[in-house]
Amino acid sequence: MFQIVMQHTHGRARVSFFLAPLVMLGEVFCDLQQPTLMATIIDSGLAKGDMAFVVHQASLMALFAVLGLVCGAGCGFLGSFASLAMGQALRADMLAVALNSRKAGGLSPATLITRITNDVTQMQNLVMMITRGMVRSPMLMIGGIVMSVLVSPALAPILFVVLPALVIFMAVVVRRSLPKYLAMQKQVDGMNRVMRENLQGAKTIKAYVLEPHQLTQFTAANRTLTNASQTAAMATVTLAPVIQLVLNLGVVVALAYGGSLAISSRLATGQIIAFVNYMIQITTAMIGTVNIITAFSRAITSAGRVQAVLAEEAAPQPVAVPAPAPATATIAFDHVTFGYAAATPILQDISFTVPAGQWLGIIGTTGSGKTSLINLLTRAFDDYTGTITIGGRDIRQLSLATVHHQVSVATQDSLLFSGTVRSNLTYGAATAGDERLSQSVAVASATDFLAPLPDALDRPVAQTGKNFSGGQRQRLNIARAVVPDAPILVLDDATSAVDQVTNARIQKRLAAERANRTTVIISQRVANIQHAAQILVMEDGRITAAGTHAQLLHRSPFYARLVATQLGGDAHADDD
Amino acid sequence: MQMMTRRGPRNPHRQKVTLHNVGATIRRIGGYLGTYRKALAVVFVLTVFTTLSTIVGNRVNGIVVDRYIAHNKLQALLVVCGLLAAMYLVASVCTYFQNTLTIKAAQQTAARIRQDVFANLQRLPMRYFDTHDTGDIMSRLTNDVDNINTALMQTFVQLFTGVIAVVGMGAAMLILSPLLTAIALLATLATYTFSRAVAKVTQSAFTTQQQALGALNTQIEESVSGKAVVQLFDHTQQTLDQFAQTNAQYTRAAFIAQAFSSAMGPFNNMTNNLAYLLITAAGAVSILNGSHTVTVGVIFTFLIYLRNFTGPINNVLDLINTLQLSLASAERVFELIDEPPERDLPDAPATPGATGSVRFEHVDFAYDTRPILKDVNLTAHAGDVIALVGPTGAGKTTIMNLLTNLYPLQHGRVLLDGTDVTTMRRRDLRRLITVVQQEPFMFQQTIRENIRLGRPGATDEEVKQAAIAANAHVFITQLPQGYDTVLAENASGISQGQRQLLSIARAFITKAPVLVLDEATAAIDSNTEAAVQHAMTALMRGKTSFVIAHRLSTIRHATQILVIQDGRVVESGTHSALLARGGAYADLYNSQFDPA
Repeated sequence: MFQIVMQHTHGRARVSFFLAPLVMLGEVFCDLQQPTLMATIIDSGLAKGDMAFVVHQASLMALFAVLGLVCGAGCGFLGSFASLAMGQALRADMLAVALNSRKAGGLSPATLITRITNDVTQMQNLVMMITRGMVRSPMLMIGGIVMSVLVSPALAPILFVVLPALVIFMAVVVRRSLPKYLAMQKQVDGMNRVMRENLQGAKTIKAYVLEPHQLTQFTAANRTLTNASQTAAMATVTLAPVIQLVLNLGVVVALAYGGSLAISSRLATGQIIAFVNYMIQITTAMIGTVNIITAFSRAITSAGRVQAVLAEEAAPQPVAVPAPAPATATIAFDHVTFGYAAATPILQDISFTVPAGQWLGIIGTTGSGKTSLINLLTRAFDDYTGTITIGGRDIRQLSLATVHHQVSVATQDSLLFSGTVRSNLTYGAATAGDERLSQSVAVASATDFLAPLPDALDRPVAQTGKNFSGGQRQRLNIARAVVPDAPILVLDDATSAVDQVTNARIQKRLAAERANRTTVIISQRVANIQHAAQILVMEDGRITAAGTHAQLLHRSPFYARLVATQLGGDAHADDD
Repeated sequence: MQMMTRRGPRNPHRQKVTLHNVGATIRRIGGYLGTYRKALAVVFVLTVFTTLSTIVGNRVNGIVVDRYIAHNKLQALLVVCGLLAAMYLVASVCTYFQNTLTIKAAQQTAARIRQDVFANLQRLPMRYFDTHDTGDIMSRLTNDVDNINTALMQTFVQLFTGVIAVVGMGAAMLILSPLLTAIALLATLATYTFSRAVAKVTQSAFTTQQQALGALNTQIEESVSGKAVVQLFDHTQQTLDQFAQTNAQYTRAAFIAQAFSSAMGPFNNMTNNLAYLLITAAGAVSILNGSHTVTVGVIFTFLIYLRNFTGPINNVLDLINTLQLSLASAERVFELIDEPPERDLPDAPATPGATGSVRFEHVDFAYDTRPILKDVNLTAHAGDVIALVGPTGAGKTTIMNLLTNLYPLQHGRVLLDGTDVTTMRRRDLRRLITVVQQEPFMFQQTIRENIRLGRPGATDEEVKQAAIAANAHVFITQLPQGYDTVLAENASGISQGQRQLLSIARAFITKAPVLVLDEATAAIDSNTEAAVQHAMTALMRGKTSFVIAHRLSTIRHATQILVIQDGRVVESGTHSALLARGGAYADLYNSQFDPA
């Protein structure tokens, strides 16, 4: 935790981080002076009728009050600066790690997002808290004890009974209530689940007339939750009245005992008043300390989560002297094996060659390793055995930028970014002109919803592209991959949500794009790849057959079965 | 003595809230609280007592100093202190009961409100779910109900206590010493004015901060979930550079907002200290000048009052704001309860069964003002297989949604066994029609329960038979927990094809005479696809079936094929008749085989 803070505060931020608590000490010191000064006014000033002394002490009080403000505000200023600077550095670092990470099976995007947003904010608040509250409350408490002992040592024993009693009581109650709050949280999750399912599955619920069933479930969940939250709330219900009582009794005892001492002239009235004031101050500070400890323990888990992200393996080390860009777009896999865990390889002994300019089709079931194969080609992961070459060069010897400029991919989940159609299409080729963009839009058969061009290029795209339908997103996704005019074009099941007729049109137009480049088309549809120069059939991470459509009909029972279910098993099978 | 933290993390800018009908909302909450009226009356009395005991106690402290300590009356001192202790003890017991009662009343009320919202949600028309964000409804059911709960449990009592404390102490102070009261009021006023002024400055800073934070989070979300694309297009550095800008913008805005608002605490602290000083000094000067009203005990009382006075006043203002927010929450929640539900016609007869003949007569349907279906006609005799084909968005699924009366149609009639479906009880109608959706929804329950949802009450054996019929039994038994496997959220643990099989099993168990199959378009792996096809064929046996087909190979043997384009039936007939015609169907049919 402290390490994270140190690594992400530099220069002025680091100075502020250490300076803030010191300044806070100043404020605490000033605060602690007030009751004592006041006691002297009452005991010395009033008793002796010394107006000059009263004025003198009063101006001291005023001075400390103003000094307190300066210190307090200063601490706030420094603390805000340190914590925000740390948050800024932390977010930037974490995002860089997240974006550069090429490790297989890392944290899920949802987890990463929560950590970079919520957990960093928690850390930010924690640092703010450390610089202020962590010093203020405990110091005020300790200082208060010291000062009250100094101002009236005779009454001090009261504190030594009251304070431990409160601490023990609070500790017991908090500890007992904690599991009850956790239990409640679990019930909250349970009920949220029923509610969310009810909203997401509204159509299914109506179709199957599940309303009564759902209501019964909800009623049960609601009752359990209500009971759990009542139990949790009841577990701490004694806290407030008991603290209140102990403190009040402390004051009464101070008055009775202190009063009896005053009557026998062993104590001054002002001292009793100051003592009571300190006691209130101490108790308030003590409650503050407990609150901070609770908050701290919550934030410390955030620190752990943040640390886990930072510890994620970063980008593969760039090659010292990267090889020059390959001259041809020949792709070759040579005995490539890859897996997140060694025992269960995702790709096993993959070997094939695609000559430059040729069309490769890949077909197979979900989970057969098709997408992983592309991930390796684009160097999403480097920890495989065997070699992959483009134009004869081992891709691990190329810089990442070179690889990405060689291979352009339309991914399976067509993810768009908020901005405009143009900003999305130029994502891989910042300098592409309108003409190229319009051309690519036409290839992806997206002109019907992007009219008129080029005006439609400036149409806004919402986050994840949700203002476009699934089929439209896929077409934009294809256009984006076409724009950079890379030597190798990959379409990874990129038309699954596009209707038949449009799909046919896209495939037809891609033919022209194929002319001068190597194309890899992954699909579950035989129709999309049946004319490829070479087709790989993938099952369970292996290539089980390779060849042309006609060859595969004989070589691969799996392929023949696919053809039978998809094309109806007759005609068209041998027509090329 | 009242407990209060001098520097609570106060909301620096009170949010502006627009309330539509405060009176009605409060009355309605009152209605929910009805059963707890007696308990709440008790809470009211207890609160008055505990607050007054604080005020009295503080004053007695001063009196003790003046009359007994100053005049050496030891015995009286001890007696009064004993009485004080007794009073505090009673007050604490009262606080305990006060809290216990409020917790119960608030929790039970929140539970009942939640129950009412959910019950109404069950009856809302499909349209409501289409047009409202899940996130928004969830937030009403959770955050907003919680806000009401908090308002009832804490805000109300605190506000009430605060008001009594301020009024009671104000009166007591005024009686004791108008001069010192004026000073205390001035201090309070200064604190108040300053925090308003700072709030104004920080308000805009906080708004900027929130906007910057929104932009920041969006960027994080987008780039992390789009990481694959970012990497593929070699965009990492640009993304990080862009982010650095937003990050800096946020940090700047947040610094202004936080630096200002963090000065508020120390400032309040200073005004408190100055008020202390002024009261002590003014009191001392009065005493030295021979005042009869001001005594050391009065100063003592005032100092303690002051701690308890500025706090509640500021608190009361915050609490009023919190209360407004809670009322706004209540309005949002009640809005959901008041949302008009789907209602069957009052005289709708029960329809226990049907043979399964279906007719659409000149059906028009528009969503909002956007026309979706125009003059759709179709006739299906019991046992027919009707296929609907056409491009995405042509209206195929909509036609089926009208059959189950999910949406009100604008013109024409839909008949099941000759009865207009809109005149039937919706639940009866839907029990007669089984729909297998394109993306079936699975609940986070066991596979067994998920299948059983087709007909709650079906036996385990029936569930198993349905799974066997649906070709799902084999994969289910291969799972480590078999039928007792609890599905993850969105059934993410099993493949989409397997999800389809489960949904077919669910359909098998319903035994309804009419079946609607919405074929999955997205990537089901081809092996499972064959299993799904077989299961669907088996399911159709002996039923009137509507098949929304995306793969034309599956529907050659349909009794009738309807080609839907732009909400109209453009062609209909058997496979061979339509092919021979050489129209839209023939085009569609040929396109799937040879795109290249």
